[in-house]
Amino acid sequence: MPDSPSDRLATATPSGVARTIRGLSDRTIAWIFVAPTIFLLLAINIFPLIWTIRLSFTNYRVNRPNADVEWVGLQNYQRILNDPDVWATMQATAHFLIWTIVLQVLIGFALAWLINRKFKGNDLWTTIIVLPMMLSPAVVGNFWTFLYQPQIGLFNTVVGYLTGAAPDSFSMIGDVALAPWSIVIVDTWMWTPFVMLICLAGLRSIPDSIYEAAECDRASAWRQFWTITVPMVLPFLMLAVLFRGIENFKMFDLVVQLTGGGPGNTTTLTAIDLKREAFERWRTGYASAYAVILFVTVFGLASIYVKALNKVKER
Amino acid sequence: MSYSVTEPSKPQKWIAGLLVAAYGIITILPLLWIISTSFKSQNDAIAYPPEVFSEFTLGGYVNLFTTQTRQSAEALEANPPETWYDEIVHERGMAIVGPSRFGERFMNSVIIGFGSTFLSVFLGTLAAYAFSRFRIPLKDDLLFFILSTRMMPPIAVAIPIFLMFRGLGLSDTHAGMILLYTAVNLSLSVWLLKGFIDEIPREYEEAALIDGYTRFQAFYKVVLPQAATGIASTAIFCLIFAWNEYAFAVLLTSGNAQTAPPFIPTIIGVTGQDWPAVAAGATIFLVPVMVFTILLRKHLLRGITFGAVRK
Amino acid sequence: MRTFLTGLLRLRRGPWEMLASILIALGVVMLMQPWLLIAYSYSFIVTLTGTVMFIIVSHFPE
Repeated sequence: MPDSPSDRLATATPSGVARTIRGLSDRTIAWIFVAPTIFLLLAINIFPLIWTIRLSFTNYRVNRPNADVEWVGLQNYQRILNDPDVWATMQATAHFLIWTIVLQVLIGFALAWLINRKFKGNDLWTTIIVLPMMLSPAVVGNFWTFLYQPQIGLFNTVVGYLTGAAPDSFSMIGDVALAPWSIVIVDTWMWTPFVMLICLAGLRSIPDSIYEAAECDRASAWRQFWTITVPMVLPFLMLAVLFRGIENFKMFDLVVQLTGGGPGNTTTLTAIDLKREAFERWRTGYASAYAVILFVTVFGLASIYVKALNKVKER
Repeated sequence: MSYSVTEPSKPQKWIAGLLVAAYGIITILPLLWIISTSFKSQNDAIAYPPEVFSEFTLGGYVNLFTTQTRQSAEALEANPPETWYDEIVHERGMAIVGPSRFGERFMNSVIIGFGSTFLSVFLGTLAAYAFSRFRIPLKDDLLFFILSTRMMPPIAVAIPIFLMFRGLGLSDTHAGMILLYTAVNLSLSVWLLKGFIDEIPREYEEAALIDGYTRFQAFYKVVLPQAATGIASTAIFCLIFAWNEYAFAVLLTSGNAQTAPPFIPTIIGVTGQDWPAVAAGATIFLVPVMVFTILLRKHLLRGITFGAVRK
Repeated sequence: MRTFLTGLLRLRRGPWEMLASILIALGVVMLMQPWLLIAYSYSFIVTLTGTVMFIIVSHFPE
């Protein structure tokens, strides 16, 4: 067989090289293929992580490179975990986290359920609704400050029109009581489609035959919804909630552009506070301990997420 | 057509369609507002009450791409406008003195976006193939480790990266940002591509191996063409991530390698924030992503869930 | 409940992972609750325990 592909390669490349390539075992190839990825991730993720952990036990400051670096043990951790101000940023994050998840799950599930009625043009509307999710949070967040302007902002005008309030009588990002809600609204606008898409996948994974069987048993539509639809979609919903939870726990770009953490500290989420400690006050050691606390929390949530992911994959 | 209990009735469909359309319009409104603001004059953009249809002008785009200074009436008289954009600037009593930094920032986004996408898809395809086909010790742990790197808060990672890049001379360089985004995107590309390659039947390669192909040949002559769609959609997801990224960009770049997302919010006109220019920048920056999203719609779910949900 | 306990005793993966997940979730709630400063102070230890435990028990047999 003179024209087999391997012969062509053998003549096309110098015989020595060809023999070397041929000689590679699957095991070697596996390592050659995986090694660059692992190496890059070690260099850019694990090595810095270990460095952070080390720094978190010191009082190092980037802006004072000549000062003596002292080993301070657990002092940074003790200070963070007893600081009411840091605790307050956690509560601001909790407010943001809980309300965005509640709103996104309710609206996202409702939309998915409606789209699953298979009306004409549902593909088109799904695509339109999905658009905000794919855009740059910083650029969009910055533009929302324009929509939130009292008087001239589109948001205030529309809300004023619907409720009868004067558009310049309230300022979403300037008012201490309203600012935490302004970030909830934009995040919900942006990420509801994410929950919707996952719920839609859940709804479409339910075989019609189950509903047909329920119909034969004369189960009411209400009962079918609670005994078939909801339990079947629940694993998907778990996945969406965990993912949004992790993402919003570390939320930075959208909120920093929208409110910058203000007014006062009402929208200073944890990631924004960490950024100030690390890159404005330059308390590197302290900020490293802060980062480790966030790392461990996110890592813990991520392990639960992967468990939920595998559960969905098995279906 | 046979009767089915699971097929919704006509009025049901109508109501569902109307509700979804209403939500769709609310959702698209801010985006349309960005695009329409970019074609307004500065005064029309901040008119009260907000104007839906204003006079069409490209002033926002001209402001976005140029820097200008105020000129005296005589100076304007002496230098009549030569081009259409000169004319727009002239009408406001200004003259163009040079290009703005937006073009540079946009090009940085393009270079860093495409560079990191290429690298992460290239490395990701190799790793995904190995994870899909070979026995690798601690495979599940490695895959979890790869995924978890994606979940880490960027601000927390940025502290040591900032120190490391400073030490290596990589801060504020294209190479540094490309490496960083590649590392972040690798998790997505490995997970997505592993899913795509898992779906290609092993029989194809086995047949090729029996025909005398080597592993390498089987990989690039049999598996790669089969995975082409998957690779393309993975590439778009990586590109969109690198394109949109803000936190690393704002902390690690400033003068040289800054990308567009940290730059656009800093566009300021002569009198306060120049909203039409900001909107013009946002429009140029966001519209390509919207087009890609529409192209990607079949693979969206897969991309955003790391390949867990396939539809 | 019974199978859960025997699972724990036999070092099975499922129930131990469940326990670790509950610890992590508890730690996160303690971190972000607005009522008790002392709960906030100890939240990190709880999350850390849960996370380390999760990594270990995910290698137990099914």
